[in-house]
This record gives sequence, structure tokens and C-alpha cells, in this order.
Amino acid sequence: MIRPVDTILALVLLSVLISFGSSRLPALIKVVAFQGVVVSIVPFFIGHGLTFGGVVFTLVTLVIRGIAIPMFIYLAIKKTAIHREVEPIVGYHASLMAGLALMVAATFVSPKFNLPQSAGNALLLPTAITLLAAGMFLLMARRNAIAMVLGYIVMENGIYLVGTGFSVRTHHIVEFGILLDVLAGVMIMAVILQNINQAFDDVDTALLRSLKE
Amino acid sequence: MIEIVFLIPLATGALAFFLPRPSGRTLLTLTGAVHLVLSILLWVRQPEALFAEYFAITPEGLLSLLVISLLFFLISIYTTGYLEAANIRSERVFTGSMLVFLSTMTMVTLSDHIMVMWIAIEATTLASAPLIYTHRSAATLEATLKYVLICSVGIALALLGSVLIALSMDVGGVNAPVAFSALTVVAKRLDPLWLKAGFVFILVGYGTKMGLAPMHTWLPDAHSEAPSPASALLSGVLLNCAYLGIFKTNKIMHAAGLGHFSGTILIVFGLASILVAATFILKQTEYKRLLAYSSIENMGIIAFGTGVGGLGAYGAVLCLIHHSLIKSSLFLSSGNILLGYGSRLIENTGALARRMPRTFVAFFSGFAGISGFPPFGLFLGEVFIIIGAFRGGHYVGAGIFMLSLCVIFAGFANHVMRMSFSDAEAVDRIEEKSTMVWPQYVLLLTSLVLSFWVPESLYETIVHAVNSIGGGL
Repeated sequence: MIRPVDTILALVLLSVLISFGSSRLPALIKVVAFQGVVVSIVPFFIGHGLTFGGVVFTLVTLVIRGIAIPMFIYLAIKKTAIHREVEPIVGYHASLMAGLALMVAATFVSPKFNLPQSAGNALLLPTAITLLAAGMFLLMARRNAIAMVLGYIVMENGIYLVGTGFSVRTHHIVEFGILLDVLAGVMIMAVILQNINQAFDDVDTALLRSLKE
Repeated sequence: MIEIVFLIPLATGALAFFLPRPSGRTLLTLTGAVHLVLSILLWVRQPEALFAEYFAITPEGLLSLLVISLLFFLISIYTTGYLEAANIRSERVFTGSMLVFLSTMTMVTLSDHIMVMWIAIEATTLASAPLIYTHRSAATLEATLKYVLICSVGIALALLGSVLIALSMDVGGVNAPVAFSALTVVAKRLDPLWLKAGFVFILVGYGTKMGLAPMHTWLPDAHSEAPSPASALLSGVLLNCAYLGIFKTNKIMHAAGLGHFSGTILIVFGLASILVAATFILKQTEYKRLLAYSSIENMGIIAFGTGVGGLGAYGAVLCLIHHSLIKSSLFLSSGNILLGYGSRLIENTGALARRMPRTFVAFFSGFAGISGFPPFGLFLGEVFIIIGAFRGGHYVGAGIFMLSLCVIFAGFANHVMRMSFSDAEAVDRIEEKSTMVWPQYVLLLTSLVLSFWVPESLYETIVHAVNSIGGGL
């Protein structure tokens, strides 16, 4: 029998591949928004016995992660005529291959950790590791500053999965921390990006090379 | 009610965003003074926390708090003079962010819960970002974006580390609050594999914020682009806050009997930072970046000392205190030089001794102190670390350590000599305000006094803090 959580996690993995192949910023933002929604509903399907507060918290997370933040970034790039290309350092085909390799590696590594709950949710740890690595990859392999911010959000999604999926104890405070982090961090980044746009007419970080050593 | 110490600056900080300029400046100094008084009271009375689950008083936290408070008070006095001299458009944002920044850093020193600690350190990043962005130029934008992005990614890794430590409790079947103090007690029963993984992630995460190589790349940009009072705060106390997170996790590692593992990693990162600093200091062209690389060097020294343990750990805490005092005075002096000469390049300065004699005294003695000359405390700290390294059998590490210090001294001395004594085109005196000189003198004097005479309670607090990470005399 296919359990719903596995389907959801498979969707997350799929979103990673799509994000690696996206060349336009609006498309990338949509993929990350989708990923945010899907990751946020995972706690509903791994039976930790949700309380009422837990349900509310998860829903708030979903709204912020899946709707508010992507909207904010989308408006930021719309208002300011920012370059719509993600300007890859590593090409799209190579990125896709790297994504697949990441998933294989994550699946290979996961059983090595002796986790108490991983028996029930075989896909949870591989997905979390993949998301972490994928976020890092986007940060390093894309030159556009907004694509880098999106990479950071993907990474946070991975941490969210580790925090909510495995550790019952830290559940709420992890959620709270990540929300705060993503919300405030992304807002500040977006504000800076808008200002960069006024100063440079471009958010390509390759142009921002005046500071070095 | 220890929470009041960080709630007051938070409230006044929010207020400062709406106040007109002169009252904002007064509020800044006033809050600094109140914060200092409260911190001293906290040190003497050691009251209980209202939310004992999240906050607690620890010896290492108290040490950092007192340093933060003293530094902030002196820097706030300097800032009032600086704001008059430098024309800053968004002054209300600047003073407000300074106060919120103070509040978040105080929260770091008092937090006991792993996640609260993490939230507080993340909050320091967010509160200090507007400070770096004060001048609103293209270069400051780049520096701010780099700072926020790199530190956020680093801190996200620290969050993962914190979650992994919580996981080590689940796997080990331990039932205790997820707080540093409680975890240190039950450390032996935690799952060692997950604890180790957690430590590595926390070290890399908070190490990014602390400026350890190779995650240091944001630091020289942020420190050189920020206005000088903000640079002094960033370098003098923010780096210590990040170190505190590593220190407390290291405490758990030692209690769990994994001190050797954490020590080795700290030594590697420490030496890497010192080597990077030595490479970049030699051919530096800007004096504020020079100071920033010197901060990376000192953080490396502190990490190395902590990793070595024993006498080295004691030396590391000494270095931590004296580095804060001396480096913040240096950054404040660099603010005077920048205002006087109007350039950040070393080649555009010169004849500092004749043109700005009072700043010169502060800058040059600060240089002597930061290079580890005998009357200042860094000398003692570094000697202790070297002795500790030899006692622990880290001969290669100690060799690299000493060699790099010599190289750094040579590079630093070369630049400072050129700034101080070389011929300049103009030789007229540049005006120096006394409010922008004597805070540096007080900082240096404090460091000097602490090198010869350490109050009994301060000594006990240091020894108490160091004992928990396998250090001592």
C-alpha cells in the first residue's frame, strides 16, 4: 500500500529536480512555493498525534512558506525590472544530473544513521538530506542573487523536515525558529535586492565583485 | 528577573526609531549606562530567571555580558560625537538598530535553551544588517547582502546542529529539557554519534558568524563598510556571542567525554583562520580591512586555545576579553582617521603622529596591544596558549601558531608604521573631539589594568567557566 507521506515526499523530490531545471526566476519561485506547501503538510501525515495548537502552527507555516514569502519575492522582482534569468554557473542538464546523483547519494547514506523512526518513513531522511544539499547547490551554482535566496529557502525546507519529522521534543520551537528566520531573513534580503536594483540596475552577483580580499 | 536586561534596550530601541536626532543620541548613551548598571547588578546578585526553562546565568555568559555592556556604553559615547561629525542620512534607523542589536546580543549571553540561543544569534544578524547598510552606497549594499546571506546559511546549519543534538536525546532515550545546562548534566547518556554530528554543524554554523576560515569571507567586507562604531561592536562583541554558542556546545562535548574530538576540530579551524589572516594582512591596502583580518586572526587564536585545552583554554578566555577591549578601541580610532583623512586606503594616510596626535596614541597603543606586546593582556593569553599547546603535545600546531603570529606582526607593523610616520602632503593638525578619543583610552586602560590586576570575583568566574571545557591553571 502506498502511504500518503511517501507520495508527498516524492513530490518534494520532484520539485527539487524541477527547480534545478528552471531557467526563469518566476518559474523557480513557483516551484519553491509548491515545495514550501508540500513540506509544510508533512507533519499531518506522520502520526505524532497533533494537538490543536500544532495544527494551527502547521497551517500558519503553510501560509507563510507557501504563499506569503513567494509572493513577497515575486512582487520584489516584478516591481523592479530584475533580470529574469537565473544565470547558471553549472548548466541545466548538468544540474539535473547532479540532482539525481544527490538523491541516490542521500538514499545510500540514510540507512547508515540508526534512527528510531526511520523504519516507518523510509523516504523522510533521504528527502531531508536531498533538500539540504539541493539548497546548497542552488546557492553555489546560480549567479542571480534572488536564485541564491531561493536556494537558502530550499535549505531551510530541509531543516524543517529534519526538525519536525524526527525530533518530537523540539517540534514547535524549531518551527517557530525557522519561521522567524525565513520571514525576517527573506524580507531583509528582498529589501536589499530592491536597493541593489536601484544602485546597479541588475542583481547579478557577478557584477558585485568590487569587494574582495 | 534577568530578562529585564535585554528587554530595556529592545524597548528603547523601538522608541529610537521614532525620536528626533538629538534625543535619539541621548537615549543611546542613557540606555548604555542603564544597561551597564543592570549588568553589574546581575553580576553581583545573580538573580533567578523568570523563564528558567529558557534563560539562565552562566559564568561564561556573565563574562560576555559585562564585556558587551562596558563596550556598548563607551561606544555609545563615541557614537554621539561620531554622528555629529559624520553626516548620516538615516540616523534614527542607525541608533534604533544599535539598541536592538544590544538587546539581541544580551539575549545570547543569557540564553540557556539551545533553540533560544539560536534564535538570539540569528536575531543579531538581522539587527546588525541595517547598521552595515548605513552609508547606502553600492559597496555597502554588496557587503550587507553578503553578510546576511552567508551568515543566514551558516546559522541555518547551526539550527540543523541544534536539531541533531535534540535527536541525540531521542536516540539515547534521555528525558531532559533541551537546555545547555541540563544537557551538560546528562551528557554521558546522549547518543555520541548524533552529538558529534550536532557539534560539527554547530561549529560550522556559529563559526561562520564568528569569522573562522574558510567561512570568514563576509567579515572583512562587513567590518570595513560599516560605520566605525558599528564595526567596533561587530568585531568587539558580536564575534564573542557566536563563540559563546560554540563554547557551550563544547561544554556538553567535554561532559560527554568527547573533548578530544571537539578539540581537534577547533584546532584545525583555528589554525586555518590564523593562516588565512597571515596571508591577507601582508598585502592589505585598507586599514579597516587590516583590522578585520586581525579579528579573524584573533578568533583563530581563541578557537585554537579552546581546542588545546588546559592552560590554553584559560588563555583563550583572556584573549577573548582583551581582544574585545583592544579591537573595539582600534576600530573607533580608525573612525577618527577616516573622518580626518576621508579615505580608507593606507596610502592616502600618513604622518598620523603629527596630524592627529591624540588618535595616534590610541591607535598605536592599540596596535601594540593587538600584536601581543607584553604590557597588554593578549600577550599573557597567547603565552598561555603556547604553553598549553606544548603541554598537550601539539608541537606542529604550536609551531604554525607562532610562525603565523610573527608574520602577522610584521605585516601589521609595516602598515601601521607607514600610516603613523610616513611623510604626508599636508602637515596641518586635524581637529579631534575629546568624546571621540577618550573612550578608546578608557578601553585600552581597562585592558592594561586587567593585565596586572584581576579582581577576585572575575578570576573565579573565568576559572569556573574554563573548568567546564577541560581547562585550568
